[in-house]
Amino acid sequence: MHIMEGFLPPEWSIFWYLLSVPVVIYGIFRIKKITQEFPESKPLLAVSGAFMFVLSALKLPSVTGSCSHPTGNGLGAILFGPAVASVLATLVLIFQALLLAHGGISTLGANIFSLGIIGPLFAWLIYRGSQNAGLPLSISVFLAAFFGNLMTYVTTALQLSLAFPLPSFGAALSNFMLIFALTQIPLAIAEGLLTVVIIEKIIQIRPDIFERLNIFKIKSVEDPIIEAGK
Amino acid sequence: MNISIDYHAHNNKLSDYNPQFKILLGILTLIICLISQKPFIPFLISLIMSSIIIFKAHIPWRFYLKFIGAPLGFGVLTLFFMAFFFGTQPLFATSIGDLTIYQDGLNLGLLVFSRMVGSFACLGFLTLTTPLNDIFSQLHKLKVPDIFIELALLMYRSIFIFIDESDRMYHAQQTRLGYNGLKNSYHSLGLLASNLFIKSWFKGEKVHLAMESRCYQGELRSMNKYSSLTLKHVLVLIFFEFSLILGLYLTSGLKLI
Repeated sequence: MHIMEGFLPPEWSIFWYLLSVPVVIYGIFRIKKITQEFPESKPLLAVSGAFMFVLSALKLPSVTGSCSHPTGNGLGAILFGPAVASVLATLVLIFQALLLAHGGISTLGANIFSLGIIGPLFAWLIYRGSQNAGLPLSISVFLAAFFGNLMTYVTTALQLSLAFPLPSFGAALSNFMLIFALTQIPLAIAEGLLTVVIIEKIIQIRPDIFERLNIFKIKSVEDPIIEAGK
Repeated sequence: MNISIDYHAHNNKLSDYNPQFKILLGILTLIICLISQKPFIPFLISLIMSSIIIFKAHIPWRFYLKFIGAPLGFGVLTLFFMAFFFGTQPLFATSIGDLTIYQDGLNLGLLVFSRMVGSFACLGFLTLTTPLNDIFSQLHKLKVPDIFIELALLMYRSIFIFIDESDRMYHAQQTRLGYNGLKNSYHSLGLLASNLFIKSWFKGEKVHLAMESRCYQGELRSMNKYSSLTLKHVLVLIFFEFSLILGLYLTSGLKLI
């Protein structure tokens, strides 16, 4: 869910920019290091970003009958790790603002924070956590994408109620949460299911791709997705 | 899916106008829209920007109406939502249930509505008149890291290829009843997305090969065909933005409701 252009008061736009920019800069540094070591990874990252853009523009059928768009940040975080995913998400958000008029320039910082930082970070933490707990791959992927999506919306609700704490912060938060809970939980489940199908299909059809994904990861971590490529 | 904003950005009467001027005009006006504390100036800005878009850039007004329709609808929703739920001082009670319209809620709703419409018109001016390549070449001047801009340019190129590809896959699946029922839809969408990822991955490798064979040294260069701002541009910018700020000052005492 993007916060629309002009919706946030200026002080909050600046606040979220200040929070997001350092993380994205860190991600850019990581990408710089990776691309210096492996020059072939640059176009791969770019096409993955383009893929995330197209994925986020696909219509996702939902149980409630409404349609929504997958955020793709769970997938990005699982495949590339949270730092790289945050840069890709930032690029996707810029393109969405400029090519589709979703989101906006003034709210870009807030949208990066919810969709590009909190979402991928939680997705990645939960993915790693449930992998360490020994859960099967499909369940960890589902949980990661589900919570990544859900946390994105919780963050958005938080951002909106911080910006408009009327009559009080708590009341506004519960208002926004209620609206989101009705629509977003089914969508989060949908995104989780879709991400599982995507990952399983890629493993089934072209496991060799995942071997290449190694370059984006910390080597010592055992990851079934990388194992699948070997 | 079609990205007509991109088409219009390349095919309007202002596409070849100095991008630095367009970006500055769009962003500065957007900032004024946001810092406004009363709804008057943002509404004025939306009128000015919309008329530039329609009469100067010659964007078809039907398309522009559709473009501005989404935020307008969302803005009206926000306005009602805030007027009914976000206030403490009742203005008047309606006869439907115990819904009350609040004075402060209505004021806030109007302000947010006006800011959204105004800043969306600024965003529209920027995206509908300025091709993306120009925007990125300006970001380069602002010292945004090269790797970021390069990724953006490569992405920009790939997006349209993938949209074509996903459209083709979608239609192929649809003609085979791939989207018949919820379970089928998920299966088909998952297949589409994973195939798209695989295809895009190999395309990325091919792009790298193509770039390597053309002496790619880790740096993409693009030609900048525009000169920097002239004195006239600067004066127009200063005059326009300062009259808006003066307008902010003059309207700050006015009360709407």
